[in-house]
Amino acid sequence: MAPARARFVKVIAIMAFASSFADTAFAQGFRPARPVEVVVHTGPGGGSDLLARAVALMVEREKLLPVRMQVVNKTGGGAAVAAAYLAEKKGDPNTIGFFTGVWLTSPLTSAEARVSLKDLTPVVRLVLEPAVIAVKTDAPYKTLADFVAAARQHPGQLKQSGGSITSRDNVVRQLLQKHTGARWAFISFPGGGERMAALLGGHVNMMVIEPAEAGEHIRAGNIRVLAQVSDRRLPGFPAVPTLKEAGFDVPAVPQVRGVVAPPGIPRENVAYWEDIFLKLTRSNSWRKFLDDNQFEDGYQDAAELARFYDEFTDRMREILKDAGIKTVR
Amino acid sequence: MQGFAVALQPANLLWCLVGVVLGTVVGIMPGLGPPATIAMLLPLTFLMNPAGAMIMLAGIYYGAKYGGSTTSILLNVPGESASVVTCLDGYQMARQGRAGAALGIAAIASFIAGTVGVLGLMLVAPPLAKVALSFSSPEYFALMALGLAMVVLLAGRSMVKALLAMLVGLWIAGIGTDLFSTTSRFTFGRMELLSGVDFVVVAIGVFAIGEVLANMEAREETRLLPVPKGLRNLLPTLQDLKDCRFAFANGSVVGFLVGVLPGAGSTIASFISYGLEKAVSRRRERFGTGVVEGVAAPEGANNSETGGALVPLLTLGIPGSGTTAVLLAALVLWGFKPGPLFIPENPALFWGLVASMYIGNVMLLILNLPLVPAFAQVLRAPVFVLYPVILGISIVGVYSASGSLFDVALLAAFGLLGYVMRKLDYPAAPLILGLVLGGAMERALRQSLMMSEGSLSILVARPISAVMLSLALLILLIPFFTKVNAWRLRALGS
Repeated sequence: MAPARARFVKVIAIMAFASSFADTAFAQGFRPARPVEVVVHTGPGGGSDLLARAVALMVEREKLLPVRMQVVNKTGGGAAVAAAYLAEKKGDPNTIGFFTGVWLTSPLTSAEARVSLKDLTPVVRLVLEPAVIAVKTDAPYKTLADFVAAARQHPGQLKQSGGSITSRDNVVRQLLQKHTGARWAFISFPGGGERMAALLGGHVNMMVIEPAEAGEHIRAGNIRVLAQVSDRRLPGFPAVPTLKEAGFDVPAVPQVRGVVAPPGIPRENVAYWEDIFLKLTRSNSWRKFLDDNQFEDGYQDAAELARFYDEFTDRMREILKDAGIKTVR
Repeated sequence: MQGFAVALQPANLLWCLVGVVLGTVVGIMPGLGPPATIAMLLPLTFLMNPAGAMIMLAGIYYGAKYGGSTTSILLNVPGESASVVTCLDGYQMARQGRAGAALGIAAIASFIAGTVGVLGLMLVAPPLAKVALSFSSPEYFALMALGLAMVVLLAGRSMVKALLAMLVGLWIAGIGTDLFSTTSRFTFGRMELLSGVDFVVVAIGVFAIGEVLANMEAREETRLLPVPKGLRNLLPTLQDLKDCRFAFANGSVVGFLVGVLPGAGSTIASFISYGLEKAVSRRRERFGTGVVEGVAAPEGANNSETGGALVPLLTLGIPGSGTTAVLLAALVLWGFKPGPLFIPENPALFWGLVASMYIGNVMLLILNLPLVPAFAQVLRAPVFVLYPVILGISIVGVYSASGSLFDVALLAAFGLLGYVMRKLDYPAAPLILGLVLGGAMERALRQSLMMSEGSLSILVARPISAVMLSLALLILLIPFFTKVNAWRLRALGS
């Protein structure tokens, strides 16, 4: 082989090698230098924790990052502790956090929760989690209208189990109550297991639950799904009407999950993360993960996410006020 | 039998051993608990087959319960929240030079109750899970009330002091964000207090730090505790085992039953088992001064609790504690669908796990008994070595659990509180009892009242709740009976 040609091949090879990184690292000049700390606001086993660990695993499997992702649990005060921890990490390029709607609602109701998502750097929105409205199989309600009618007949007697009053479960209840004029009780349980146990034991009448969690109990014949809190019918529930189809024209509030970074992060870092997560959401592992959990792809880039914050916060403030919950911001 | 075929595969035996050894280590170290350890190991488990991984993670879970007693007995530092009760008599035994006997009996009780717990999981899991579902907030309130009634058994000389200590515990339990209204209570504007005060911080502060501070005043000795020479004096005697006959059974049954309830937990199981043991004991007045069944009952209870806690997890997909929540997460990430159909659809995994738990409990007994004399030697260290070590372990433990310096400051504050309480002869156990039960009890009461639209009758209208509340009343009357009995005896004597 002539030397000139050999050099040419080498150049091509280097270029090909370089281009494989081009859109991530070299083009933007940023890549994390040490293991990335991923902050979540739930304890091990909670929703955000589970998502973060699944993402860390997929990122590793798809070889998207040069370093590992380490999940750090900062629990407490809704999401106040995790948000404050991220705010303290100002300018740290090796830290990100996984947020949910609670990160926006807890500053609305808690004076101590000073750090809002707006004080952090938005990165991407990842998933929208729909939900289904479930009752026990032996309950007399065949449709959501049945349930609402029963609630109207016995105001305050029927019960729904759920999380805290700022959680999505209660928001759905508030919207339905406002729309129909019916009234039923909302009983908070700190753990998802206790909520389910209360429904299965017949101590409460209804529950708003994640589709994947409901799936197994439906298969076993323990519960029945009346409606889905989603704009489109979920693949796992082709025969179940959405709220609108069931005759209740209320917004299908999703649980939203995404990624933020500490304040003071340069634009190029955000672009790097946007790109990593865009690649992740296009991967096969991600597709399978969404299908398994019946999540909806909710990818939004940083600019769109920032606009989403405002809409979401305004809407939640209104809903909470309607519910008679004191807002401080 | 199919289960043993799975569990006895060499690889799975190895994972079982790895799990129980890791669990013991995690249990011995205060702070770092099984949930955090299992979460950290999750990425590694994807390289293993699910049966091996499940066997290892479960090994960490029940192995930690064995290890938790070690520092409670030797240093008055509870290694796990479920080992707080073990401090009461375990540490007193150590002060009398019987640390080896206490550690030995803890291992034996753990083995017996742990095995009974697995037996329960194997035989009665599905029907029992159904029974557990009939428990809801009113029943939980009654259960907590029963637990709180134990205060009369934990009181030292003065009932008033015990009640005051309990009230302080209940108050600490109230700090944080209210679940129902998201209002913050007693947070003094500190964000760190929004999530409440970590139980471990209070327990280590009041027990360990308080003990060190109080002992520092009495400087005459260079060695903290006597350690007898000879191996025979380091193990439980035949008489000890005889004394513990009832405690073994009590711990096994109470622990398992409380474990099955998703809203209770092992700390409550250990308190109830200790209270029951004391209530029926002939030498009730000597509890808290180092009686061996005061170690056996709670240590047994917190071990059979693991078998119980796996019942709602595996038969319904309902986790009842931090550790079972992480195990649930692990199952989901491995691609299983935990729920009512999990056992019928994955019989090999379930029976393999059950079989491995029998094997694991035997491994733990074999591992832990020879360690007893070795651990007992720790107390030979002079106080100028031991005290800094206790302080170090406590601070590192608290910091490793939360990564927050604020918690370390809280630890110091509660250490001071423990010291003052000791000086003024206030018992620490009622404070811990109030703290453990307070949050869950308040929640259960308010949930019950929401269910009944504000009527307290719901608490007595439901049979299970009514029975437990009556039991609680009976326990509250024990001191009264004891007094009446004493008068009668005196009258008979004269």
